[in-house]
Amino acid sequence: MSARAAILGRLKGAEPDRAEADALLIALERPRVDEGALEAEFLARLTLPSISATHAVIDSMDALPSAIARYLVQQGQPLTLCLPPDPRLSGCDWSAFTLHDSAAPDEAAALAIARKGIAETGSLIFETSAQAPMLPNFLTLHHIILLAASDIAPYLEDAPLPGLQPRAHYWITGVSGTTDIEGTYVRGAHGPRFQHVILLRQRRDVA
Amino acid sequence: MVSNAGIEAPRIMTRNVALFVTCLVDLMRPRIGFAAIRALEAAGCEVVVPDGQTCCGQPALNSGDRDHAAALARQTIEALEPYEAVVVPSGSCAGTIRCHYPEILEHDPQWLPRAQAVAAKTFEIMSYLDEVCGWKPEGVALEAKATYHDSCSGLRELGIKAQPRRLLKPIEGLTLTPLSGEETCCGFGGTFCVKYPSISNAITAEKADAIDATGADILLAGDLGCLMNMAGKLHRNGSKVRAYHAIELIAGMGEGPAIGEEP
Amino acid sequence: MSAFTDRAEAALTDRLLKIAVERTAGTAETKRAAAVAAFPDFEAARTRAAAIKDHVIAHLGAYLEQFEANAVAAGARVHWASTADEACRIVVDICKAAGAKTVARSKSMLGEEIGLPHALAEAGIDRIETDLAEHIIQLAHERPSHIIWPAMHKTREQVSALFKARHRSPHEEESIAAMAESARRELRAPMLGADVGISGANFLIADTGAVCTVTNEGNAELSLVPPRVHIVTAGIEKIVPSMGHAIHMLRMLARSATGAALTQYTTFYTGPRRPGDRDGPEEMHIVLVDNGRTKMRGEGLAEMLRCIRCGACLNHCVVFRQIGGHAYGGTYPGPMGSVLTPALDGLRQSRDLPQACTLNGKCQEVCPVRIPLPTLLRGWREKSWREGLEPTAMRLGLGVWVWAARRPRLYRLGAAIAVRAMQLFARRGWIATLPFAAGWTRHRDMPKPARQTFMAQYRKERGK
Repeated sequence: MSARAAILGRLKGAEPDRAEADALLIALERPRVDEGALEAEFLARLTLPSISATHAVIDSMDALPSAIARYLVQQGQPLTLCLPPDPRLSGCDWSAFTLHDSAAPDEAAALAIARKGIAETGSLIFETSAQAPMLPNFLTLHHIILLAASDIAPYLEDAPLPGLQPRAHYWITGVSGTTDIEGTYVRGAHGPRFQHVILLRQRRDVA
Repeated sequence: MVSNAGIEAPRIMTRNVALFVTCLVDLMRPRIGFAAIRALEAAGCEVVVPDGQTCCGQPALNSGDRDHAAALARQTIEALEPYEAVVVPSGSCAGTIRCHYPEILEHDPQWLPRAQAVAAKTFEIMSYLDEVCGWKPEGVALEAKATYHDSCSGLRELGIKAQPRRLLKPIEGLTLTPLSGEETCCGFGGTFCVKYPSISNAITAEKADAIDATGADILLAGDLGCLMNMAGKLHRNGSKVRAYHAIELIAGMGEGPAIGEEP
Repeated sequence: MSAFTDRAEAALTDRLLKIAVERTAGTAETKRAAAVAAFPDFEAARTRAAAIKDHVIAHLGAYLEQFEANAVAAGARVHWASTADEACRIVVDICKAAGAKTVARSKSMLGEEIGLPHALAEAGIDRIETDLAEHIIQLAHERPSHIIWPAMHKTREQVSALFKARHRSPHEEESIAAMAESARRELRAPMLGADVGISGANFLIADTGAVCTVTNEGNAELSLVPPRVHIVTAGIEKIVPSMGHAIHMLRMLARSATGAALTQYTTFYTGPRRPGDRDGPEEMHIVLVDNGRTKMRGEGLAEMLRCIRCGACLNHCVVFRQIGGHAYGGTYPGPMGSVLTPALDGLRQSRDLPQACTLNGKCQEVCPVRIPLPTLLRGWREKSWREGLEPTAMRLGLGVWVWAARRPRLYRLGAAIAVRAMQLFARRGWIATLPFAAGWTRHRDMPKPARQTFMAQYRKERGK
């Protein structure tokens, strides 16, 4: 008998009732988010010491490269940037930058576009796709994230996509850190040590 | 698991109360039993001490000796069931009767209802006086600074937390200073302290340090096992803190000999 | 004396261990309390979390099949293992088929449980532990001592010495930040160059076939995305019905473990890379491991399968706080370890664990899924008693006690004698040494009793 048959044989039982499973998620307990002030709630979480992210606001995609340049100069970093192959970025003027299309193990700065921001936790939501590689977001020292203000949603329940799932769906909540040595928090264990969110606040958001 | 502590004060005060004194109080500190009677009588109860009581069976229960625990449970149930209410000066013994008797006898169709009946009318003493009788001590005075340790069984099985403090509050001259880690186990754990003495000692030593740090004159709790453990460690350390069961102060017997001062 | 008591004694004299434990578990206690206080109706959330897990456990077979179907539809291969050995064999075979010389591991207690590090070593496969604490204990040739902080027993000085001895370009500054930097440098290339990435799973999502991992360091993603092959080893109880259910459990997990609202990285992997994806493994294998879980479900330990491995019970256990994790001798320490270890390793060799507990109930109070740990521990005690595993002296002593207690008249006589006899050992109200009570009097005094028991005094007073 295969292990599968043996295990399932030991677990014989009734089919779960979908309604019963769904009922377990009614009226969830969760932190309160002021849904009328999503951006403020989101930014408040971002600035928590446990998240340690910085942010800047732009009002159009045209302003994106200069906002990034400003950040890198402030951080004493050269203007090199790993860009994802996302068509939404092709209209920007990247001439000031040395662009990488893939991330080296010691990549200094990488840009990513978050599909959503979650006010409850200050999380940024990403999925993998042909336009969105995953590795640069973890290899880079400075993780720069573009987020449309209109894409800020209140709760973690707003993060997932319905239907067919991408290869990876991931939430990034603050900079990489660890408390493995004596319980003392340090940043940049393996992942990025710096997170900078560039919030795009315009009437017509990122298409 | 604050399970069976959903007690509602009935309109009429129960008059006919049986005292389950507990083996530890019977052997090691009878004055707790007398304090219990005193307080209950002051609250308007008529107290009986049923003959057939010895031990609730907790040592057997916690050792995994289910058969003997069941035997002692039956004996105890039989001794206590004739009375309207049973009052116990110990959170762990009251917890054993209230929470564990029905568990121990769950497969015994004859005894389970009897266990449930006794469980439903068994109360830890401070909970009984405060919540069932709605009573407060009057005219009791003791000039002292005390600190209170919340014994685990009483706290987690029966929800004993506010009741002792409410009963101690009216005592004139008594100030209660909080104990850091008041809900942290003292390290007694029944047979644990003799089965694993070094581990128990390490836990108890920290508790004794916390008690000393309060600057209190008196240590109070609702369980004699815990009190003996903490007082024994304090004394071995040369601490000047003296220990009583809270019911002794509540009954106005706080000027008597503390634990370890038996003449 | 037993192996456990020997280890416990050694731990109790280890001052550095105590400091390390307080810095991690002690801090976690404080942080969790703050997180719980800030959460709306945490008690109701606990009840819900327990209900979700109970629902899954009741329908575990069906949910596993649903998970498998969805994972396979997404391109993953699902394997089943009844035992630890089977699970290791499957993992090693996958590695060998992939021609793997090195594997990068992200932290997995299940991997530890099945003995995967040993199996990989036996197979001649190099193992790169990418989680900082796992890296530390790998260098030190030790096992984890906590399920959330595997290296919590190590002081910074001990870690510093390890790194200076073993890292290619170790830290110069004696700071924890510099040490973490050194580990980052040391592990970067090996981690990214590994042939296979092996992870555990915090949750398996039945209705999508997704595997969820949560980390703070980002090491999981860096270990699991670059290699050609990603292997997941997961206990079968990790299933939840949907993402929505996982989200509720995730809210409970970080708060209970460290007091955070969420870990830094929460990743859901559904199958291997898709056409057009720029990175990701070509093969994804999920090994579903039983290793005693179906037995637990069928033999009164179903509630233990609710466990989401948060470590709160460890952090709040007065015994764990004194002896640390290694003293328990198994994969899992603390209260949850004391329930699991007899199930995984057999009661005979681990009988101390359910006994070395005061049954104070704090563990149950902080468990996000309301596992009745004291009840389960008492269950092990009953089994131990039935199987005659308890020491003779204990059985005898208890036997005498019960025998007497069942005979009230004899009991009163015996009690009267005992309290009189104890007077002989007392000086000024206290007893410092007492026959048969060395366990007590070694460390504390015993107050002497009154000359007469309560029942004797009561009878006299009431003129009966």
